[in-house]
Amino acid sequence: MSLEMLLVIAFGGAFLTYLLGKLSPVLRDILAVLLTLVILAIVALFYGRTGESSFMNFLGFNLSLRINTLSWLFAIAVATLGSLSTIFSLSYMKGKERLDFYYLMMLIVNASMLGIVFSGDLISFYVFWEIMSWGTFLLISYNRGPALAAGLKYIVMSIVGSTAYLLGMFSLYASYSTFNIADIASRISTASPGYLLSVLVLFSITFGIKNALVPLHTWLPDAHSEAPSPFSAVLSGILIKMGTYGFVISMYVLVGIKALSHLGHGILSFHFMLAILAAVTILVPTFIALMQDDAKRVLAWSSIAQVGYIILGIAIGTSLGFAGGMFHFLNHASFKALLFMAIGAVEYRTGTRDLNSLGGIIKKMPFTFMMTLIGALGLIGFPLTNGFVSKWLIYKTLILGKDPFLAFVALFGTWGTILYAYKILHNIFMGQLPEEYKGVEEAPFSMKFPMVILSIIIILFGILPGIPLKVINVIGVSLGFKSLAVNIWGIASDTGALNTINIFSAILVSWIVVWLIFKAAPTSLRVEQDNNYAAGSYVPTGRYLYTANFYAPVYRIIKPYVIDVVDIFYMALAGAVRTLCDWTRRMYTGELGSYVMYIMLFLAVLITMRLGFNIW
Amino acid sequence: MVNPVLLIAVPLGLAFSLPIFGLISKRLEKYLPVIAMLFNLSLSVYLVPRVLTHPIIVYIGGWAPPFGIDLFVGPVGIFFSVIIALVGLLVSIYAMDYIKEGDTGKYHVLFLLLLTGAQGVVLTGDIFNLFVFYEILCISSYALVGYLRDRDGLESAIKYLVQGSIGTGLVLTGIAFIYGLYGTLNMADIARQINSIKPAANFITLALIITGLGVEAAIFPMNAWLPDAHSSAPSSISAILSGIAIEIGVYAIARVIFTIFGATDILSFVALVGIITLLVGEMSALKQNNIKRMLAYSSTGQIGLIVFAFAIATSYGIEAGLFQILNHSLSKALLFLAAGYMIYRTGSMEISSFEGMGKRMPLTSLGFTIGAFSLIGLPPFAGFASKFLIVKAALTKGGGLYTCLIALALVATVIEGAYFFRVVQVLYFRGSNENVTRQEAPVVALVPFFVLAVLIIAIGIYPGPVMHVLNSATSEFVHRIAYIQGVLR
Repeated sequence: MSLEMLLVIAFGGAFLTYLLGKLSPVLRDILAVLLTLVILAIVALFYGRTGESSFMNFLGFNLSLRINTLSWLFAIAVATLGSLSTIFSLSYMKGKERLDFYYLMMLIVNASMLGIVFSGDLISFYVFWEIMSWGTFLLISYNRGPALAAGLKYIVMSIVGSTAYLLGMFSLYASYSTFNIADIASRISTASPGYLLSVLVLFSITFGIKNALVPLHTWLPDAHSEAPSPFSAVLSGILIKMGTYGFVISMYVLVGIKALSHLGHGILSFHFMLAILAAVTILVPTFIALMQDDAKRVLAWSSIAQVGYIILGIAIGTSLGFAGGMFHFLNHASFKALLFMAIGAVEYRTGTRDLNSLGGIIKKMPFTFMMTLIGALGLIGFPLTNGFVSKWLIYKTLILGKDPFLAFVALFGTWGTILYAYKILHNIFMGQLPEEYKGVEEAPFSMKFPMVILSIIIILFGILPGIPLKVINVIGVSLGFKSLAVNIWGIASDTGALNTINIFSAILVSWIVVWLIFKAAPTSLRVEQDNNYAAGSYVPTGRYLYTANFYAPVYRIIKPYVIDVVDIFYMALAGAVRTLCDWTRRMYTGELGSYVMYIMLFLAVLITMRLGFNIW
Repeated sequence: MVNPVLLIAVPLGLAFSLPIFGLISKRLEKYLPVIAMLFNLSLSVYLVPRVLTHPIIVYIGGWAPPFGIDLFVGPVGIFFSVIIALVGLLVSIYAMDYIKEGDTGKYHVLFLLLLTGAQGVVLTGDIFNLFVFYEILCISSYALVGYLRDRDGLESAIKYLVQGSIGTGLVLTGIAFIYGLYGTLNMADIARQINSIKPAANFITLALIITGLGVEAAIFPMNAWLPDAHSSAPSSISAILSGIAIEIGVYAIARVIFTIFGATDILSFVALVGIITLLVGEMSALKQNNIKRMLAYSSTGQIGLIVFAFAIATSYGIEAGLFQILNHSLSKALLFLAAGYMIYRTGSMEISSFEGMGKRMPLTSLGFTIGAFSLIGLPPFAGFASKFLIVKAALTKGGGLYTCLIALALVATVIEGAYFFRVVQVLYFRGSNENVTRQEAPVVALVPFFVLAVLIIAIGIYPGPVMHVLNSATSEFVHRIAYIQGVLR
């Protein structure tokens, strides 16, 4: 099976699914799931393969596909989330309009992401990148209403990004006369630092927008919360990570560690500037997330913050940091997708995701609660989940790199993460069950299944982090990083080892101890929640337990500081551009006289410039 | 060997015999443009391989240039012939059903004359002959803009007429200067005698001709007629005006600058004007609520991009400009044709009235979307290839000026993206879809949509064959001496 075949299957299958949908919706659903599973199987079989082959000629340039461990890692994440979100869609999307279109776009976006990571040259990268962008635009707009503004915001920012990419790509072409990534990489080491920096900045704009790096993040909160939930999972889980892939490609594959280290000094280096941006990306969005009342908006802002960790690890650029960043990308893909699916399941059953009106759903959807809990623990970085390991690696990097400020930001961000993760858990699942949700049922199987898979991944990678870290280490070595002493339970290094088995045993022992203590203590008396509330006397009917304004004291403190000034600035800019455009249009007055004047003026200017200034 | 004169003679003959056919049967009239364009298309395509190996030069009446008029059927000419015939054919198929009101006979006559004019401009080797065909094109488009005889149509037709006449007047003055200075009207012969635009007489002649042609080519600031004219004409005519007529203006300017005057000195100024045209066009389009006005402003923007690409003047640049002409012809024709039936169904040109079109007219909406995506320059549509070529040409040319200008051009594409994506959202996602019944455009209209959409995608994925023609066309512009020698032997 070649890479071309994979992409042909992925794109062709997408259109086939669309056509089949015209015949029978059931067959369409089956085909969509089957297709994503086949793609997953094929990508899994590609493990360990490397190679490059050209697949077509476009305007005289060879477009090529290439596979190596780096692209495989991203591809397997794409394929996994692709199939899980498609399975999740089966019941979530049932009965909604235009499903053929929905599945077509889901599959196209998936296929184009595979195309991105398997691209061997900058042109095919761009082509797949753009297909992904417009596919995403159509899917974000799918929900109508406020989704339209979100979609428009997304696509405008995305075009700005591709503009920057085109400029970067062609300035590389102008210097090296090739678009092939490997060819450019082999010749770029002699380039001047200023030139490299300009290209890197251009690419950083493109990938920063997709990756939602502050200050280029403003499309994400709207887009993630307005998109259909299965697509939010894809969007947050893997689509924004295409930006991460882009950063890795442009920084470590194209430019390379060696040339990169010469770009500036100390604080004023590309590395450090990117790390600072990443730190801001962790800090501010975390606390904006805390203040949201829409569950999906919390998760959306949280995605921005978590991406900050990924970029922080990658930007620092030591082998430990790179491993941490890459591992965190995988982890974020798993737990954020899980959380979006869980919230989607709650929304599917209750019809709302408003954190102030939900409550007590744990009684009706205990399974979904467990899944949300596992996702939230992963997000926080609780030991025995994968998030712990990746965050440990990132903290370790920052501490070893003597960046106290960055390390503090990372830890502080985690503190905020704990707060909002708890807010989600509490406001949706704890407390009193409102009357209107009494009839709510547990999520259907097709929603449970993908969630279970993701939660298994979270815990498995938390206990045995060596599985992904081995692959990441191979990538790191191929990019020129020092090899890490990876073993199945973590990392052994001279500066401090990580051993998840020890942690696992320690936690197990402490659990047993706690359990024994509680066992020995006198048993507590269980009372009903209502009973507790009314101290044994008459219980009022209706809702008496509200969770609104959840962290009021914290809100009071942070509110003045966590305003999305960037978004306000962009919106003002957009407004100014619109006004400017309108003013420009007024040039066309409708008066024939002025039109004739324009013509004569042009002629006069031409002749005056020649006769008066003798320009030509 | 078929004589390429037929490319002009057949549509011209059919145009004037059309009223006679009309006497036999009114219903026959609308098939004649289709037949003429089918003929032109097959002949042009048939001639392509021959022209690529060797340009065909036809001496009218057997008089060799510079004494007689010649037709120079080179790669450029045949490239434009194919586009004119193709878009003309598709629009005439569309018009069979679309044009029902008014004096349809006159419509078809004028339509054929317009295309004859366009065809003549791109093939002729004589500058006065070029002017004559140019006037045929312009005059028939003035009449067609006012075809519906409503207030808007007549007003914009008259405005167009006044501005167009000033333009052609300037061109004619310029040609008179040339004749006075060099005593010849043959383009190759003039080119042989002009080596520089340094002499003031040469420059003023050039300025007059560029300004005059610039009116029809819709170059800023001479493009004020365009939004009115393109938006109030019947949609089939808007498609022709945007898809062919203004490109012919650009062709004429390119021919004058590159071949006749060899005026490479002014190209950086032209590039600047191109970018201003692009920016002003796209910015004006941004807030339009009238779909046809929006498309019309977008056309001026695209013309600016084409002019910019030509002004880069390396072979990459000219190639990119020609490719963008092809892309714009196909995409804008598709957009206007699709918008035409949407307007027909809703009775309004307001974009907001197109809510739910994705369900009401799914294929038409799909066509519109493909056209819009291609114009923005998204892969895998034809627009991507042309955007790719333009950026490549600008950045390989090097120099701060062109880098800044291409950055501005890309800013303009962001604006373009913003308004086109907004329309796509209205078509598919705005408003509610309930109580919408399917009212697809008739099959005669779907055929052009289908052909255009398939071409846009096919060229977007496999631009190879097109590039083959464009390479030769580019060298016709770049190698001025070869052109002169080819004609004058």
